[in-house]
Amino acid sequence: MINSIPPGLVMFLGAFLVPLFPHIYRQFYMIFLVLLSAISLFSAEGSHLIIQVQDIQFLLHHSDNLSFPFAIVFHIAAFLVIIYGGHIKDWREQLAILSYAGAAIAALHAGDLFTLFLWWEATAFTSVILIFGGKTYRAYRSAIRYIVIQVGSGILLLSGAILLFQSNNEAIFKELDINSTAGLLIFIAFGIKAAFPFLNGWLQDSYPEASEAGTVALSAFTTKLAIYALARSYAGVEILIYIGALMTFFPIFFAVIENDLRRVLAFSLNNQLGFMVVAIGIGTELAINGAVAHAFAHIIYKGLLFMSMGAVLYRVGTCKASELGGLFKYMPITAVCSIVGAVSISAFPLFSGFVAKSLIMSSLGYEGLTFIYFMLLFASAGVLHHSGIKIPFFAFFAHDAGLKPKEAPINMQAAMVLSSVLCILIGIFPSLFYQILPYSTYYQPYDFSHVLSQLQLLMFAVFAFICLWHFKIYPPELNSTVLNSDWFYRILFYKITNFFVIRLFGLWEVFSSSLIKVVKLIYVKVQTSSIQSGNSAVKVGRSTVLILFSLGFVLVCNYLLF
Amino acid sequence: MNIFNKLIKNFGKANSIALLICIILLLLEFAGDRHGETEYEDFLFFPAFFGFISCIIIFRIGVALRAVFMRDEDYYDK
Repeated sequence: MINSIPPGLVMFLGAFLVPLFPHIYRQFYMIFLVLLSAISLFSAEGSHLIIQVQDIQFLLHHSDNLSFPFAIVFHIAAFLVIIYGGHIKDWREQLAILSYAGAAIAALHAGDLFTLFLWWEATAFTSVILIFGGKTYRAYRSAIRYIVIQVGSGILLLSGAILLFQSNNEAIFKELDINSTAGLLIFIAFGIKAAFPFLNGWLQDSYPEASEAGTVALSAFTTKLAIYALARSYAGVEILIYIGALMTFFPIFFAVIENDLRRVLAFSLNNQLGFMVVAIGIGTELAINGAVAHAFAHIIYKGLLFMSMGAVLYRVGTCKASELGGLFKYMPITAVCSIVGAVSISAFPLFSGFVAKSLIMSSLGYEGLTFIYFMLLFASAGVLHHSGIKIPFFAFFAHDAGLKPKEAPINMQAAMVLSSVLCILIGIFPSLFYQILPYSTYYQPYDFSHVLSQLQLLMFAVFAFICLWHFKIYPPELNSTVLNSDWFYRILFYKITNFFVIRLFGLWEVFSSSLIKVVKLIYVKVQTSSIQSGNSAVKVGRSTVLILFSLGFVLVCNYLLF
Repeated sequence: MNIFNKLIKNFGKANSIALLICIILLLLEFAGDRHGETEYEDFLFFPAFFGFISCIIIFRIGVALRAVFMRDEDYYDK
């Protein structure tokens, strides 16, 4: 019976009882729900819970070899975020974390597009609470933009699902044709959540504005759900290779100039998603394994990096590189964990990033996609630059900023240490890790050639940074805002709309004043005739004109329509 | 020994260790058969060269883009 309940549902529903529990008991209750949800993971492959509503079949619980690894890592992420946020006393944030994780896990097990849509929107509405949790005016405005875009993505998904249902009489969540209208709409819906180029502004806009634990949760679920959806429906679609390559390439430069270290990580997240999108575009068994492995490893090491920066934010009150430095002495555990995360994301051998990224790079090599291969190799050096070096260096080393904070709270340390251990274990035992991937293909990441090539690439990139820093060529970090694709709707669209609205009001002003003149003229004549006949004068204002105009409009419409 | 002392004095201990590791990695190239996923990577010291140059290019482009994309901190709040 329990196996037929979709994983995540108990977390989603159980989250609404969170306010009933006092602070510490709440954490145990939340962890209990995560473990309870994980039981359903071990149900056999196939569809387990189907509900028929009129003509539509809702496949609420469908599991297979693709959903399984994502579901495992989503549960791990939920567990780690709950521990990390253990110090939070605000039940609203705890409720949001648990329901958001539950909705994302349930979405992984959706067997049809309508069920996916419901959970897709549930992740949007639960995650936005975490951005409001930033409790600043910037966070509030960012949350509004976030929810508009996320709901927009859901509407596109629903539109596509309806079109598909109209033509096929079913809307199964499986391979879709990108050349059909329905397929294209759903592709864009997934692309928004996967932060495709020019659709990525919401990610760097909102994630760094959320609370410390909120950002960790956000980094784990939404975008990886989109990666899962792309892998399920658009594996092998060629355009994804080019989209993914662009995603790996451009965020590097933005991350290099960004000052807010959590925003640097948000750019880096975008770059890492690019690797996964490229792999999905290739579509071979090795590449899909690579995409899933990378998503799995990425959730943990990116979460770890966000945790370390969240700990810094919690203790120091800022995450700006220009205001940080020298924290290693005061926050050694956070610093070491941050370095583990940095080394993992840079794909140093013996860490999780290496065993995951190698699958993608090898699949590119096997398919002969040389240009894309070198773009991704270049991006790998970029990852090292902005996430591997910039994050730990500017926060914990560089210059002494004179800050003397306490070490992170014990629950934060526990979550960071656990994540670090996972990063190392995955890196040391890749064969165990590969067993949970969708396809059983043999791959050996540790050979002399591969390890030496990677170490040369990374160490010489590190050495280049050392030279730039030592010879004072590297410019200081500056308090600034880096323009991103959200500029289009935050500034350009706003200005264009403003321009037209002002002109429209101007036109209305001219039109209404001339109308008033005409009506006044008529009234003057009526007034004259009234005075002549001994009646009192009538005053004409805008409201009178508006009422007369509306009445006239209704009369004309009535005449024309009926 | 004198060279190492001079190096550490001028370049710092950590930096010198990084340089030493880089030199060892270059020497390891001759210890076995290193080959890449593509034929271009088979050139001598290719990954080292690629990593170093990529980092410099990223830095140069990043600095150049500051003029284009960098605005005041309160740019969106005005």
